[in-house]
This record gives sequence, C-alpha cells and structure tokens, in this order.
Amino acid sequence: MKKLVMMLAVLALAIPAFSLAEENAADVKKEFVVYADKNSRVNHYIPSGWMGDYGDIKMNDQSADNPHSGTTSIQFVYSGKRTQNNGWAGVYWQNPANNWGNKKGGFDLSGMNKLTFWARGAKGGEVLQKVMVGGIKGTYPDSSVVEMGPIELTDTWKEYTVNLSDKDLSYINGGFGWTTTADLNPDGATFYIDDIKFESDSALKPEGKKQEALPLYVYSDRSSARNHYIPSGWMGDYGDIKYDGSSKEDPYLGDTCIKLVYNALKAQGAGWAGIFWQNPANNWGTVDGGFDLSKATKLTFWARGAKGGERIEEFKVGGIMGEFSDSDSAVIGPVILDKEWKQYTIDLKGKDMSYIIGGFCWSANVDNNPEGATFYLDEIKFE
Amino acid sequence: MNKTLLRDGSQLKACLPDRQAKVSPFRGRFTLVLRTVPAICLLLIACVGCSPKPKVYIQKLKNSQYRLIVDRKPYVVKGVCYNPIPIGKNHEYDWWSDPDKPWLVDGKLMKEMGINTIRLYQSHEDIEEVKTVIRDLYERFGVRTIIGSWLGFWEYPCPFYGDNKFRERIKKEVLDMVTALKDEPGILLWVLGNENNYSCIGTVNPWSSEEIDKEPDPQKQKAMRANTYYSFVNDIAKDIHKIDPNHPVALGNGELTGLEYANKAAPDVDLVACIIYRGKTFGNLFRSLKATFDKPILLSEFGADCYDAYLKKEDQDMQAFFLESQWRQIYENLAGKNDGVGNCLGGTIFEWTDEWWKHDENNPDSWNTCDTSSNWSNGSYYFDIKAEGNKNMNEEWFGIVAMSKNPDGGLDIRTPRKSYYVIREFWKSPQLKHNNKKRK
Repeated sequence: MKKLVMMLAVLALAIPAFSLAEENAADVKKEFVVYADKNSRVNHYIPSGWMGDYGDIKMNDQSADNPHSGTTSIQFVYSGKRTQNNGWAGVYWQNPANNWGNKKGGFDLSGMNKLTFWARGAKGGEVLQKVMVGGIKGTYPDSSVVEMGPIELTDTWKEYTVNLSDKDLSYINGGFGWTTTADLNPDGATFYIDDIKFESDSALKPEGKKQEALPLYVYSDRSSARNHYIPSGWMGDYGDIKYDGSSKEDPYLGDTCIKLVYNALKAQGAGWAGIFWQNPANNWGTVDGGFDLSKATKLTFWARGAKGGERIEEFKVGGIMGEFSDSDSAVIGPVILDKEWKQYTIDLKGKDMSYIIGGFCWSANVDNNPEGATFYLDEIKFE
Repeated sequence: MNKTLLRDGSQLKACLPDRQAKVSPFRGRFTLVLRTVPAICLLLIACVGCSPKPKVYIQKLKNSQYRLIVDRKPYVVKGVCYNPIPIGKNHEYDWWSDPDKPWLVDGKLMKEMGINTIRLYQSHEDIEEVKTVIRDLYERFGVRTIIGSWLGFWEYPCPFYGDNKFRERIKKEVLDMVTALKDEPGILLWVLGNENNYSCIGTVNPWSSEEIDKEPDPQKQKAMRANTYYSFVNDIAKDIHKIDPNHPVALGNGELTGLEYANKAAPDVDLVACIIYRGKTFGNLFRSLKATFDKPILLSEFGADCYDAYLKKEDQDMQAFFLESQWRQIYENLAGKNDGVGNCLGGTIFEWTDEWWKHDENNPDSWNTCDTSSNWSNGSYYFDIKAEGNKNMNEEWFGIVAMSKNPDGGLDIRTPRKSYYVIREFWKSPQLKHNNKKRK
C-alpha cells in the first residue's frame, strides 16, 4: 500500500512537469519569424522583392533608431518621386531571395493563423496602401493571398495583425509585403518595421467580413487614407482613357478630384470604355476581397463635365462576376453631365451590399461622345 | 346540428320531431332520400357554379411564398430549352416536320433523366405540327411544354413597341397561338418575350417613338420605353387570361433589368421567366426580385458551356459543376425551404442539345463542326476566363446532350454529357450542401 501511495505521489508530481515540457515544445511551434533583428538566426524571409517605383525606396535593415525590440529594425524611406513612373512601390519578403514564384521555396505554415508586425512612422501620418501575406504567383504560386490596409502609421510603435484563420498557408513564399503610393504620400514617407512573425493563436477566430462603418469613401482625395477602392479595372478601349487621381482643376471638396479624359479613338476597337474601382486592385472576382457595405443605403458622388453635355452611359456599384462575385449591383444612367458640379445618387435600398469588390464604375461610348469626353469626379462614398 | 343532419341519416331520425318519428322507418328513409338528393344536387351545382381551380396556376402561400400547381399538385419545373437543330442546319431549319421526329428520341432520354418540361421559344406556322410535338412529348413521356413568343423582337428593323399597328399585329399572333394550343393537355404556361427588355435600354434592337425622342433626358427615355414595353406585355397577358384561364402567363426578361418598371406596368403577368447567366451562384436574384417585383420566378434560361476556352478542350466537369450549383440554388429557393426566398418555381436549362450553327449562322460550312471559337466573355464562368481576350463562352457547347453525325444517316446520335447524369442524380435526391469543387 505504501508503495502504491508513493507511486501515485511520484506520478502526481511528474505529470504536471511532463505537461509543462509538452507545452513549451508547442510554444516553440507557435511562431515563425519573418524578421526579428538584423542577422538574427530565426529570420526566414528576405526583403528582396522590390516592386513598382523601386528607385523610390531606400532600405536600412539594421536601423538602430529606436527599434521596437532587440537592437535593430528596418527603416524604409519612400520618396514618392515615381522613379519608374508607376506611382507606387513596395517590398516583398521572399524565400529564397528574389523568388517571384519561379522556383520552389517558401514554407509550409499550416497551423499558423495570424501574422503580426510592429510599425511606426518617422512623423506619424505616413500611409501604407496595404500589407500582404502570400500572393506571389508564377510557376510555384503561394497558396493564399491576404491583404490588409490602408494603414495610417503613428509616430510610436504599434502592433498590427493580419488574420490568417482558415487560410491555406501550405505554401508561402511571399512571407510579408507592403505597398504604398505617391498619391497617398505626396511628400514621401519614412517608416520603420520590426518583429514580423507568424503566430498560432488558439483564441483567434476567422475574420468574417465586418460591416463597414459609414461613410466609406471610394475616393475622397488623392492622398487620403480613407480611399477604399483602386481604379484598376480599365475596360473596353482602355487606351482611350487618361486618369488623373490628383487633379487640382476646381475640385468639389479638398485638394484634388479625379479627372478623366476619354478620347473616343477606339484604341482597342470596342467603341466604349470605362473604369471599375476594385478591391483589391485588378480583382475581377478572382480573389476574395471587397467590403461588407450592408449598412449602406446609397452611394453618392459629385460629377461635372469639362464643357457640359458629356454623356456617361452608366455609373454603377457592384456587378463584378467571378469566382467571388459581388453580392448585387445598382446602376444609374445614362447621365448627361453639367458644366457645374452636381451630386448624383445610386440608390442601394433593398440591395444586398454584403460583399462588394467593385465599389464604383463608369462607362461611356463613342456613339454618344464622338468627340470624346472630359469629366471630373469627386467625393465618391457609400452612405 | 345541420352538419350532423346532412352527414348521417340515422342521426337525422333522432333529431326529427316526434310526429315524424312515429311513421314507418321505410317512409322515413324514403323521405330522407327525397330530401337529401336534391340537396346534394344543389351542392354539386353550386360547386360546379364556383369557378373551378385552373389546370395550372400559381398559388401564393400564407408566408408569401409561391408554388406552381399542376393538376392540383405542386410542380417543380425541371426543364430544358429545346431547339433540336441537326448538324449541318441552322435556325431556319423546320425541325417540326423532321421525318426523324427528334422529339421522340429526346423525349425518352428526357424522361429517363427526370425532365418534366421543355421550353420552346416560339411556336411554328403549322400549328398542327406544334400540337403533334406537344402531344407526343406529353402522352408518351409525361413532358409538358412551355411555349413562348418573341413578341417581334427579331423583326427588322426593330420592334416598335410604341406603334399601335405593330402591337396589334403581335398581340393577334400571340392570341391566335394561345387559342390554338390552350386545350392541349401538355401545355404548361406561356412566356411573352425573352430578353426584349434590353431593347428598352438600347443594348439590343433599340427602338424609339416620336414621343420618346422629344424627351431630352436619356434616363427618362429609358423609363418611357420600359413603361411602353411592359404595358404592352400586360395587355397581352390580360387578353390571354380571358381566353385561357388555365395557364399562367410569364413575362420573359433578361436578368432583372427593368423590372422596377414592370412592377407598375405589368401587374397582370403571373410570373417572370428570366435569363440568368451568373455562373455558380444566382447571387441576390431571388431576394432582389422579391423587393422589386413580387412575382414568382422561373429560371427560363441558364446553364454553362462545356468547352474550356483556355485549355482548348471539352470539359464536362466544368459544365456539371456549374449546373449542379445552379440547381442547388433553385431548390434552396423553392417554396417551403428554410433558407431561401420561396419564390422560385424551377428552371429550364439552356439547353438540351448543342447547336452547331450558332457561332457563324451565315456560314453553312461551319454548321458541320461544333465550333470551338468563343465570341463573348463572362467572368462568372471563371475556370476558363484566362482565355484569349477573356472570351470564354462557347455558344455551340451548351448542350447537356452532345450530338454526332450518324454514319448510317438519319437522326444525329445523342450522347448525354456528365451534367445529364449529375442533374439526374441531384433531382432524385437533392443535396443542398454546398460543394465548391469540380467533380472528376
């Protein structure tokens, strides 16, 4: 009997100790570092994928200027000078370096469900258009793409989290990335990033699309962090369109408005042209994106023609169809523009706005604008 | 008490005054017969006098859902669009008088699949031939017929819906057809127009009138055209109801475009019959219709092609994937389903057999091959959207039954595609759980 009691006592003491050891082992597996410190042995990705106006970017990956932890952080200086004439720039952390999906690399990060990083601006107010996990295509494409943004930085360190729950992380070559634009940062931006890592968080739940608060802007001003959609979906005779998202020609509100010149020369032979504002950029329903705008009852915008009399066939919300289709669409038109600013409304009452990739769209045609059309848009927003 | 009296003679006796209770039971029974027979006759006459339920009608349920009733039973339209143009011919071919009688072979295959309805877009000038087809399909295979009218949509130069002469002529054509066919037991319902609403917004066969031309605002012009067109459809629907109370009248419509005008201009149509090509999901279609024009909906044209324009090869999995997903949504939105809107009556898949003339209808040489060229794009059918110019829709590959030339002559050989079997199984045991992958 004594022996039995002794054995039970030993077991009682041993089992918690064993469990603790197991827990520690699990803890080790609970994170996977992208970047911790310069030369840290736990870094797994390399910030080698410079994109867009790469000449606008300077990187110091051993900045000792107030790192969030350790001895260094990464400093980026983005000039916004459009060196390669793109108007945007960004950096991907890849594995191996410079892997744009042309070779096998990356990691199987199954089991992780979030990516966290710390960031701060040199002054505060710097805007990252978005940050990304995955999304590199090519022969060996990443198994997922998740984007978050825009993010307006503060001048103090702040932690940001990308929710990766329910995402297929079985092959991730683009471990982390950011992009920004000259419009969002007309005077450039200096910012710092530190402690980028994947984590496993059992308390984290899949991020259903949250209903966005209103008003939600499609376009407010060229450098506004409140802009939510990108004018990336050029259609029809796209060669006939010139887009200027920072026109200072008598904006309705703020510093800038959108100027559109449609020359009606039928560059692609379609006889019509138009632009969809999408989220993320170039999303024709091919990737999960967009916003839950269920609370919206209308989309309003201001428009004017350069001469007056320009005819726009359609102004539209939603209607993109693909694997991830918009949940509904609403349209007004044809609209004949005045020379003076006038507000237009697309009624969304009774519409299912729970999933909208295509936030706004216009289209015009040659038949009704044989000489082309120049027109302006401003303050496009869901209310 | 009266209820008891009518129901049971023996109890009648107990209820009679004592004076009558004393007479012979025989006499009592005779009196009962004398009294009840006329009463029953009166009841029967009264019942006959009440308007009887139509043969086919739409029932609006207490929860505002809709269902189609045929011969007093709920009926889900499990149909196909039918236009059996043989290889080497185009749409002008008179298949109604085809000596091979394709509908006899097709009807058998349809019955085996579970199809209960075909949709014919238009009648034919020889109405006896039309009756033969309808009768053969119904009597031999239990397949009913939805028959429509283009309402002059394809007339040259364009359909003048604002012109009284044009309207009267078209209306007469439709009413003549209804009069001739309304007593055919195989008729299910009538469809007025197809996607004629697009002519109101000017995208197909645009038309106008002097009054509309005077209006400077193009948005108001659009509204005027829509009101004119839908009012015309409503006039025809009302006249059909007068001569044929036994079959519902559908408004054919491309998507839901313009139905906000139909809401006021066409209250007398019984349902809408919509053409919808939205890939794997109908999206907000059912709810949106409920909000704009509260009528039941028949998906009168929907489906998917089975040619991968990107990989340049036939892909029956792709077609079956889309069709199964579409039928799942149709079933989810039938009356009585928990999560749906309950305003869907079923659908007719586009289409039964491929049509080899469609890509180039003016080039007879091309009618002998199932053309793999595509001339339109639809991102909803996303598997092959990366095809050149994003043109992924292959008009000649929509059949759920493939055709090939018969080496012995006669009717082209019919070979059911995968979707034929997948939908057959779905109808036998509808699984509403979502499946997002192409089956191999």
